Amino acid sequence: MDVSREIAQRINRESRIVATEWDGILAGLLAEKYDAIIGSMAITPTRQESVDFSTPYYHSGAQLFVHRDNPDKVYSISECNGLRIAVVLGETYQHFLEEKFPDVEVVTLKSAAEIFAMLEQKRITGFVTDRLVGAWQTKEAGRPFVPVGEMLYKERIGIPVRKDNPDLLGQINTALAAMEDDGTMQRIHQRYFGLGKTSSSKLGTMEPSVIATKLLKGFAVSLGIALAALLLGFVLAIPSGLLLTFQRGSLKPLHFLVRGFVDFIRGTPVLIQLLFVWLGLGLSPFPAAILTLGICAMAYMAEVIRAGLMSVDPGQDLGARALGLSPLDRFRFVVWPQAFRIAIPPLMNCVVALLKDTALVSIISIPELIREAQSIISVTFEPGLYYLIAGLMFFAVTFPLMKLSDRVERSIKAKGFAHD
Amino acid sequence: MIEVQNVAYTYADGTKAVNDVSMTFPEQGIFAVMGLSGSGKTTLLNCIARFLSPQQGAILLDGQDIQDMKEVDFRQQVGVVFQHLNLFPHLNVLENMMLALERVQGRSKSEAKAEAMDILKRLNIGELAANYPAQVSGGQAQRVAIARGLALKPKFMLLDEPTSALDAATTSDFAQWLRELQEFTSFIIVTHDLPFAEQTADQGVFMAQGQVQEQGRLTEVLQNLDRC
Repeated sequence: MDVSREIAQRINRESRIVATEWDGILAGLLAEKYDAIIGSMAITPTRQESVDFSTPYYHSGAQLFVHRDNPDKVYSISECNGLRIAVVLGETYQHFLEEKFPDVEVVTLKSAAEIFAMLEQKRITGFVTDRLVGAWQTKEAGRPFVPVGEMLYKERIGIPVRKDNPDLLGQINTALAAMEDDGTMQRIHQRYFGLGKTSSSKLGTMEPSVIATKLLKGFAVSLGIALAALLLGFVLAIPSGLLLTFQRGSLKPLHFLVRGFVDFIRGTPVLIQLLFVWLGLGLSPFPAAILTLGICAMAYMAEVIRAGLMSVDPGQDLGARALGLSPLDRFRFVVWPQAFRIAIPPLMNCVVALLKDTALVSIISIPELIREAQSIISVTFEPGLYYLIAGLMFFAVTFPLMKLSDRVERSIKAKGFAHD
Repeated sequence: MIEVQNVAYTYADGTKAVNDVSMTFPEQGIFAVMGLSGSGKTTLLNCIARFLSPQQGAILLDGQDIQDMKEVDFRQQVGVVFQHLNLFPHLNVLENMMLALERVQGRSKSEAKAEAMDILKRLNIGELAANYPAQVSGGQAQRVAIARGLALKPKFMLLDEPTSALDAATTSDFAQWLRELQEFTSFIIVTHDLPFAEQTADQGVFMAQGQVQEQGRLTEVLQNLDRC
């Protein structure tokens, strides 16, 4: 991050840090979510096909780290056949290991924090990552992990930018050269990877007030997205539910259209929908999250409304007809009020599901609760604690909703509504 | 007066439920359509209530074919209480009655409320006004359903098996209560419960296999049946 700030300053650009998952980071660059990636990305021929790299700003390489106790007694990667070695999903090390050491059991995990937790519990033998990054993270997390053996290979670390952006590439290269010349790069390296000087730093801890603020802010974002998606979903679910129920005459084509769309949404993972809307349709993260979750909620709520309408006794409509009510009035005053009441408990379950689904939007770099928890964990390296807290925060909202849903259900049954 | 003229109704599966039936329902009194299940009496009721259109014959209300009447006019002259009542569970008794007054007869909310309350009181069930259908007994629900139909002041009121959910003691009370309602409308009761018919109706028909077997004054109809 120091490198990015320094470069931004030197090329007169605003540096805005966008948090994202490593495995989708290049896709995000290509979709113009950001303009450059300063994240220890190795220069590889495959990557060079889709992006341009700056001149290397440091050289490092793949390194095996193991627990200090080293229960498996391994001193190099060639001794790891049949053992579990972790890498972060999407990093070059995964390919490298699978190709060069096919007998090593490669475990791909989402983040360094996960890898550290696994190794701490000795559920893996070790992990492979960039030598410098690994050394820094291990030290900051205060974990008893040590590098063993030679580097697996050496690699050059550069800054990828889109191929249609040669101006930025030129500016970055100029800045990097200048930083190399005036010793800035040296200082930054020293600060992060140097020995002695930084070992007493407090980078591995975070003020409780900062943690609390991050979690609450993140949860507010989660709730905000859920609320917006709920409104969108509900407004769309009512006409969709009606079209799912009635399929006569001129409504028939629309009925089948909605039927197909709802089936498709319900039959595909929300994660894929989210990535499709974000990267495929190119929406910004917040609109993408609200649209995707809203449409998804619509699909489920439309089914619930359909079921509600179907479970109203046909005698109710007949009874209203015997009183001379018009078809519209029969629906408005007799059928719909009952269908809606019947639908309330399952609709509330949809709300609970929607709220939980907001956790997924963390992958499209929205700073909601899970993302904030991950950012805390990346500093404190306490995944158990902070994922538990995040879970409890969700539960604090979903539990009362579930109880309320039970109560509504009981009162509806007591009033003798049709219920099959 | 309702005149049923040579009416026949055959269901899509070929079942001939009503076969060339004629009868006349007078302007006053209680008329019973009796018969065992499968005799075609409920099909006939559905034809008179215009939920089914007979393939043959005609049903006239004061000389006009009911098929030619506007839906909203017909419904205000011929009320129906279904076997399962079909009270609206999300509305209380008063609201069940007010709905048609407001939406069909265009009364204001306060007018509808006053009128509905008035009818409930005259029917001696005013105390049920605020109850929901699930909170009243079977006998009370039957009365509420009739009250709801009477709110529109129909000339005729069709009752389909009104005693099917009532026990013997309640049935007798209900018969007594119904006789007191003759000032409001004339009733056509479709029932398989002959003792109940005897307690309430003045005239009646007995149907079997889709045809009228006996008709006339109720006592005579029942006597003729005993003889067979």
